[in-house]
Formats: sequence, structure tokens, C-alpha cells
Amino acid sequence: MSELNSALEHPTYNYKVVRQFTVMTVVWGIVGMLVGVLIAAQLAWPALNFDLPWLSFGRLRPLHTNAVIFAFGGCALFATSYYVVQRTCQVRLISDKLAAITFWGWQLVILSAAITLPLGITSGKEYAELQWPIDILITVVWVLYAIVFFGTIAKRKTGHIYVANWFYGAFIIAVAVLHIINSLAMPVAMDSFQAYSVYAGTVDAMVQWWYGHNAVGFFLTAGFLGMMYYFVPKQAERPVYSYRLSIVHFWALVAVYIWAGPHHLHYTALPDWAQSLGMVMSLILLAPSWGGMINGMMTLSGAWHKLRTDPILRFLVVSLSFYGMSTFEGPMMAIKTVNSLSHYTDWTIGHVHSGALGWVAMISIGAMYHLIPILFGRERMYSIELIYTHFWMSTIGTVLYITSMWVNGILQGLMWRAYNQDGTLTYSFVESVAASHPGYIVRVAGGAIFFFGMLVMAYNLYMTSRKDVELQAAPAVASAA
Amino acid sequence: MIQHTFGLLVRPSAQWRTVANLPENSFRTLILYPCFLALLPAVAWYYGTSRVGWTVGDEGDAIKLTVESARQISVLFYLAMLGAVAVIGYFVHWMAATYGAASTLTKGIVIVGLTCTPLFLAGVVGFHPLLWIDLLIGVAAVSWSVYLLYLGIPIVMNIPEERGFLFSSAVVGVALVILICMMVGSVILWEYGAAPAFTD
Repeated sequence: MSELNSALEHPTYNYKVVRQFTVMTVVWGIVGMLVGVLIAAQLAWPALNFDLPWLSFGRLRPLHTNAVIFAFGGCALFATSYYVVQRTCQVRLISDKLAAITFWGWQLVILSAAITLPLGITSGKEYAELQWPIDILITVVWVLYAIVFFGTIAKRKTGHIYVANWFYGAFIIAVAVLHIINSLAMPVAMDSFQAYSVYAGTVDAMVQWWYGHNAVGFFLTAGFLGMMYYFVPKQAERPVYSYRLSIVHFWALVAVYIWAGPHHLHYTALPDWAQSLGMVMSLILLAPSWGGMINGMMTLSGAWHKLRTDPILRFLVVSLSFYGMSTFEGPMMAIKTVNSLSHYTDWTIGHVHSGALGWVAMISIGAMYHLIPILFGRERMYSIELIYTHFWMSTIGTVLYITSMWVNGILQGLMWRAYNQDGTLTYSFVESVAASHPGYIVRVAGGAIFFFGMLVMAYNLYMTSRKDVELQAAPAVASAA
Repeated sequence: MIQHTFGLLVRPSAQWRTVANLPENSFRTLILYPCFLALLPAVAWYYGTSRVGWTVGDEGDAIKLTVESARQISVLFYLAMLGAVAVIGYFVHWMAATYGAASTLTKGIVIVGLTCTPLFLAGVVGFHPLLWIDLLIGVAAVSWSVYLLYLGIPIVMNIPEERGFLFSSAVVGVALVILICMMVGSVILWEYGAAPAFTD
């Protein structure tokens, strides 16, 4: 491996850490999505937990979310941010050692999560399930990450800081603040994983969802917008449509996102004014979210002729469309009236996945296909045809997933609130579960198609990395859509 | 008009070319096409929900809406379908310039109305509301409509295929946003006046 790395060494930039994170992005993507497909199948056919505690839905669901968000998404963000910050600042990372520590440290975090979560060791906080020793490790790795990233920016050779770095920077700072404040806890004993949150009751819920929604806002949005602002213009070979818009929507996004958390707690013990504030802020959030989408779309819109021959560009176009769609859906679902129906139904899960599969995964995959040949010193990916295959699998998988969850969500919401003339409920709860079964099967199919697309990508990555394999001839005019 | 319906189902490519070459007058009358076809699902679901009813799981009597409630919801359903076609049609017209196509509002609405043919026809399943079969037919209809869109936009708008691909994708994006508006609109209407009334 070290021999391989030295042959691929770039004279100026540290590509090694980028390459490591890129490979692990694909690996963790496969692992996380496989767990996702398994638990989706368990919802359709409950016997699939085989009565084993560590295969039960309650333990695997946090493993799935942690694996896809922090392992797959996290590695993609580490890889692209280290790459983008070097290229746009035109300097090498300040320290190869620190960068290597962030890589191995982050893999250690993921491994500890993969061991503790199936064992049922959890703090019970959604998206922050890991217990205190792992939380401390995350904090250390994250601070080192910030030092490498901002240190590199500090010694940049270019005059200004490119907008992609603004987004990556905001993501790094905000995630540090969110993680530390939400994870503050008092361990039961020093030799115990168990700890209790320093917050209690409603305050605990509010802090948790302030964290939870901003994990979406800064981890899954700001970070990936940073990715978008580098890879979309690069792949389209066009400048960003409006630099001013990018700065304006950056500050608007940063200022507004922080306030939107209470919409996860509509009609709970949270004070009503806080719920209404969260709803209004969520509605305002539409504007900065769409600012990013419009900027990306307008940057791409001059590159039509490339769409035919460039499947990577297609990933980017479709990811921006799903980004626009889900950031419209989010504010709508934050309206209290709508939320009273949509909350606790599969509509929420569909919404999350239109963001997670359609936006986050698709833009990451597009960025990875851009990066892999550069990092392995090849002209292009081993097979362009397989990128097309992957593109269609991802798109079809996402669409099946979202539509089945929409149907299920509306169905459940409507069934739960339907009542007869005499005031009795029209349906029992279990009837709504029975009615959801077809949707669950469609979801398994959609998720599985997306997952198999990742396997196609892994094969393509492996073949591209092999020096002894000739690249397949690029299709003259690639198969039409 | 009926020949367009069959044409789009059996030989879509040729039918889109026929539509594209229609003289201005006959083209314009096609704006009425969705008004007629949208009657099918509205009537079917009115009948199905108030007379036939549906069951969930394997127990008990069929669940039905009262006739008044079904009538009110069907009328709203009909208006919502036409509204959606008109709004998406407007967006098609609005985006046409970006993709280098000459367009009018009529043209946008006609394209969207014709594209929705499989969806309108599939609405007939409302006569017999049975969840899983309705879902299967619905998925097939949606797929066929999306196919019609990607096929039809470059032909009727007379633009190269790769630009048509991006145009169609943008239309799908708009359609999804409109779909969310419909979902949100239904929930809000449910809360304020149009909640369904079930028979006992």
C-alpha cells in the first residue's frame, strides 16, 4: 500500500488522505446502505430480525443512520474538504500527520459505533446515540480537523477564500458547537459507558432537536453545499453563476438554520411560542435553501451539451433537483397544521431520504466520480457505461423510496385522524400498519436498487485503481437517456 | 381528442409528432383535453368512495364516505387536478425560453395535459378502491407519464434531445413541488372545512 501511495504522490498536494477518505466513503456507503436495506426489510417482514437482540430494528436503526450520515457522509466531506481547500488555496495541508490522525481517528469512531450500537449501548439521543467515551474521541478528532482545515486556509497563496471553503468552514465550526453542547453528560461511573444528559425534560428535548436539525443544516446541507460549489462549476467547466448570491445565501442560511429546530417538537410540552418561532424560521429558510439550488442550476444550465456525454454532471443535476424539492417540502412540513398530520408517519422518513439519497448521496457520488481518477492518476473512470448504470439505479431507487413513503405517510396520517359520525375512530392502529405493507415492500425494492448501485461504483473504483487494467473505451456518443 | 389518448398509449413517439404538427386552431382546442379527462378520476372516486367503499386488513364492513362529503371532495379533487395541470403548464411555458424553445402558455398547458393521460386513465381504478392494485396501476401510470414527458418535450418544443432531457427534468422537479403543495393543501383543507365524513 505504501508503495502504491508513493507512486501516486502529488508534488504539491496531500492526495493520500483524500484518497483514503474517498475509498472509505464508498466502503461505508455500502455498509450503511446494506444495514438500511436490512431494516427496511424488517419493517416489511419482521421475522428478519431472527430474534437476535443485536439484529433487532431498535439497535440497527441508529447503526444505519450513524453509518450513512457520519461514516459515508462524513468521509465524503473529509475527502472533498481536504481536496478543495488545497486546490483553492493552492497550498498543501499544513500537516500530513494531523491529517492522517483525523483519518484513523474518524475510522476508529465509526468502528466503535459499529460495535457499541448493536450491543445496545446508546445515549438514546437521535443522531447522537454514541456514548461519552466515543463523544470525547469525536471532539478530539474534530478539533484536529478544524486545525488542519483552517490552518491550511490561513497560509493560502490565493487572495480571497473561495466560497466552498466558507461552507466547509461553517460546517466544521457549527458541528463542533452542536456536538459538544448536545453531548454534555455526566457518566454514571468512569468504568461505565452509561451517562446522563446534563439537561432535563423539555430543555433536553429542545437541545436535542436544536442539535438534530442543525446536524441536517450544517452537516448535511452546509458541508455538501461546499462540495456543490467546487464540483459543479468544475465539472461543468463554467464559473459560478453568481458569486454574490452564494455569499448572501451563505449568511442567510447560517443565520436562519439555527432557529428551525423546534419544528421537530410541534404539539409537545415545548412552549407554544417556541413552536411557532421554529415554524416561521423554517418557512423563511426556504429562501436561502433555494438560493443555493438556483446558483447551482444556473451554473449548470449552460452545459447542456455535456449532459449527453457526462454522467457525473447528471448526478449533480439530479442531486440539485432533489435538494430543491426536499428543501421546499421541509418548510411545508414544518407548518403546524401539516405537521399534525405528517409527524410520526412515513412522510417524514420519505422527506429525510429525498434529502439523504437524492441530495447528499447523489452529490457525493458525483464528486467521488470526479475525484477517483484524479487521485489514482488515471485519465477517467474505468467504465463510463457503469457510471450511467449507477446513475439510473440511484435515480430509480430514490424515486421508488420517496413515492412509497409519500403514499404510506399520507395514508397513515389520514387513517389515524379519520373518525365516524359517532366520534369513534374509523381505523385501528394495526389497520394502518397493514395498509402500509405494500409501501414497505416498494421501499425495500427502492433501497436495494440504490444499494446495488453502490456495488457497481465499488467495482468501478477497484478497476480504476488497478494499474494493470486498461480503461474501457469511452462510448463515442454515450447511450442516450 | 380520443385519438390522442390512444395514440399516446400505443405509439407515443408518432403521436407527439402528430400533436406538434397540428394547425394552430386544433392545437389550441387541446387545452380542453385535461378538462374532459380529469372527469374520469373525479367521477370514479366519487362513486368508489361513496357507493363501493374499501376495507383495510381482512375484517369487517366496507368503509364509505357520505354522499355529500364524497361530492365535496371529488369537486375539490377535480379542481386540484386542473389547477395542477395549469400551474405546471405555466412553468413549462416559463422555462421554455431558458431552454431555447418558442412557447406559449397554451402550448405549456397542452403538453402537460397530454402527458397526464395515463394518470387520468388510471384514475378509473377509483371505481373499485383496493389499495394494492390501485398502487400498482398508479406506479405504472406515473412511469408512463414520466416517459411521455421525456419523449414529448423535445418533440413538441422542437429542441435537441440533450436540452430536452434537462428541460424535462426541470419539469419533473416542478411537478414534485406542486405535488407537495397538493399534499400540504389537502392537509390544510382537511383541518379547515373539507374533512371527509364517514358513514357509520
